[in-house]
Amino acid sequence: MTAIEIRNLAKSFGPVRAVDDVSFTVEAGTVTGYLGPNGAGKTTTLRSLLGLVTPDAGEALVNGQRYASLAHPLNEVGAVLEATSFHPGRTARNHLRIMCTAAGLPATRADEALEQVGLADAAGKRVGGFSLGMRQRLALGGALLGNPKIYILDEPANGLDPAGIQWLRGFLRHLAHDQGAAVLVSSHVLAEVEQTVDNVVIIAKGRLVRQGTLAELTQNGESAVRVRTTADFAPALEEAGARVEKVEPGLLRVYGLEAETIGQLALDHKVLLTEVAHERSDLQKVFLELTGEPVAAEAAQ
Amino acid sequence: MTALIRAELQKLFTTRIWWAMLIVMLLLVGLNLFFIIAFAGDTPQNGAAPGLPGLEDPSWLQMALSVGSSGTIFTMILGIIMMTSEYRYQTITGTFLTTPRRGRVIAAKLGAGVLVGLLFAVVALVVVGVVAVTAVLIAGGEVSFTESRVPQIAIGVVASLALYAMFGIGLGALIRNQIAALIGGIVWAYVIESIFAAIPALQGVGKWLPGGGTQALMSIDIDTGLGESQLLPAWGGALLLVGYAVLFAVVANLTTTKRDIT
Repeated sequence: MTAIEIRNLAKSFGPVRAVDDVSFTVEAGTVTGYLGPNGAGKTTTLRSLLGLVTPDAGEALVNGQRYASLAHPLNEVGAVLEATSFHPGRTARNHLRIMCTAAGLPATRADEALEQVGLADAAGKRVGGFSLGMRQRLALGGALLGNPKIYILDEPANGLDPAGIQWLRGFLRHLAHDQGAAVLVSSHVLAEVEQTVDNVVIIAKGRLVRQGTLAELTQNGESAVRVRTTADFAPALEEAGARVEKVEPGLLRVYGLEAETIGQLALDHKVLLTEVAHERSDLQKVFLELTGEPVAAEAAQ
Repeated sequence: MTALIRAELQKLFTTRIWWAMLIVMLLLVGLNLFFIIAFAGDTPQNGAAPGLPGLEDPSWLQMALSVGSSGTIFTMILGIIMMTSEYRYQTITGTFLTTPRRGRVIAAKLGAGVLVGLLFAVVALVVVGVVAVTAVLIAGGEVSFTESRVPQIAIGVVASLALYAMFGIGLGALIRNQIAALIGGIVWAYVIESIFAAIPALQGVGKWLPGGGTQALMSIDIDTGLGESQLLPAWGGALLLVGYAVLFAVVANLTTTKRDIT
C-alpha cells in the first residue's frame, strides 16, 4: 500500500489557487523532498494531507485513508508543522504528555521522545524560553510519540543551526532507510534537503512542475568545470568543443569537457591553471529555472 | 472520551491561568463576604428597601453562601480561555492532529469545563462556608446546615459555577478570538444581564437568559423591592445553561470548528 498518496488535489483560498491538480505518491522506505518557493502551495498540500485543510477537489490519503478517519493517527502519522504551536507557559514534557494522554499512549513515551530528539535536559523547562531550533526538535518529538511509519514535515530545518540541520538529515534518513518509514519533507531551500532525499517533487504556483528521483533531476542540469587562469584559455577550450562562460576576469565556467581533458589542454597550451574544480550538478539552478524564481533569490540565500 | 477529558484537564493544569483565576475568584468572593458580614443587620435610614438580615438570622447564612455564585464570571472566563487559547497559541493544530474528529475535542472540553467548574465551586463554598459559619458563631447565632435552604443554595452554587464554565467553552468555540470572546462574555454578564434582571418588564425575557438560569438555580427569594421575579424552576435553570453551552458548541461545530486550520 502506498504510504502517502495525493491525487488531483486542488484548493483555493478566495481567488488564490493555492494547490492546482497536484498528484504524487511517497513510498515506504524513502525520503521525498517537496520543494518549491514560499507560497508555492507546499503547506496547503501537507495540511490537506493531515486533515487540517479541506481540499476543494481530489484526495490526500495516508495509508489509503483520509487522516480524519484514522482511529489512532499518532500511531500512523507523525507531523511537524510550523514551530510556533506550543503554549509558552507549558513545559516540553507536559506538552508531549498531553498528546500521550489524548492519543492513549503511555506517558513514558514523552521522556523517550525527548531523549530521541536531544531535549532531555530541557524537558522540565517552559516552551516560552525555547529557541526556534528547540521548538522544532520538540515538534519532532511529538511526531515520534506513536512510532509511526509515515512522517510529514513542513520546513523542519527552519531555525535549526547547521549542527541541527546535519542531525535532522541523518535522523530522517535513519527513519526512512533503517526503519522503513515514508518521509515527506518540504523545503524552499533545495540545498537543505539535497543530501537527504531520494525523490523530489517540485511545485511552483500551486502546480506540480517536476517529480522524480534526485538523479533524474540532476541529469537535466549540465555539469560544469570551474577553471581559474589569467591566460587567454577560452579559445583553446572552445576549439576543443566546450562552451565557455566567462564568470569574471580570470574565472571560466566550462561546459562539455571533463576536468581531465581540460588539464590536458592546459598542458598542451602551456597555460597555468590556478584552480580546476568540478561544479557538481547545478541542481539549485535547475530548481530555480523550474520554479521560475528570479536568480537574484539565489544571491539572497 | 475519558482520555480526551483527562487530556483537556492536563492542558489546563499544566499552565498557570487556572490558579490565577481561582485566587481572583476567592478575592472577589471574600470582598463580597466582607461587606455582607460588615453590614449584617444594618437597616437603611429611608426604610424603602429592607437591609441585610442580622448574623443570627438563619437567612443571613443563606445569603452569605449564595455569594459563592458570584464565581460564575470566573468559571465562564476560564471556560472561554480553555477554548480560545488553543486558537491563540495555535495549539489547536496539534490538538486536531491528535484528535482529528473535531467534535470530540469540543465535547471533551465541555466535559472538562464542568469538572473544573465543580472544583472552583467546591473551593468557593468551603471558603465561604468556613468564614460565614465562623462569623455566625462569633455573633452567637446558631448554625444548621439542614434547616432553611442551605443545601439547595450549595447545590445552586455548584451547578451554576460548573455550567458557566461549560457556557464559556461553548462561547469560546463560537468566537475563536480570545479577546472578543472575553469581552462578549463579560459585557453580556455585567451589562446586558443586569438590564434584563433589573427592569421588571424585561424579566419575562430575562429568565430565559443565562443569568436568569443562574438565578433560578439559586432561587433565593430575598425581596429585591421590585416584586417577585418570574423565574424558571431550578432544574429548568440548569437545563437552560446546559442548553446554551450545547447550542453554542453545536453551532460552533457546524461553523467555526469546521474551518481550515492554516
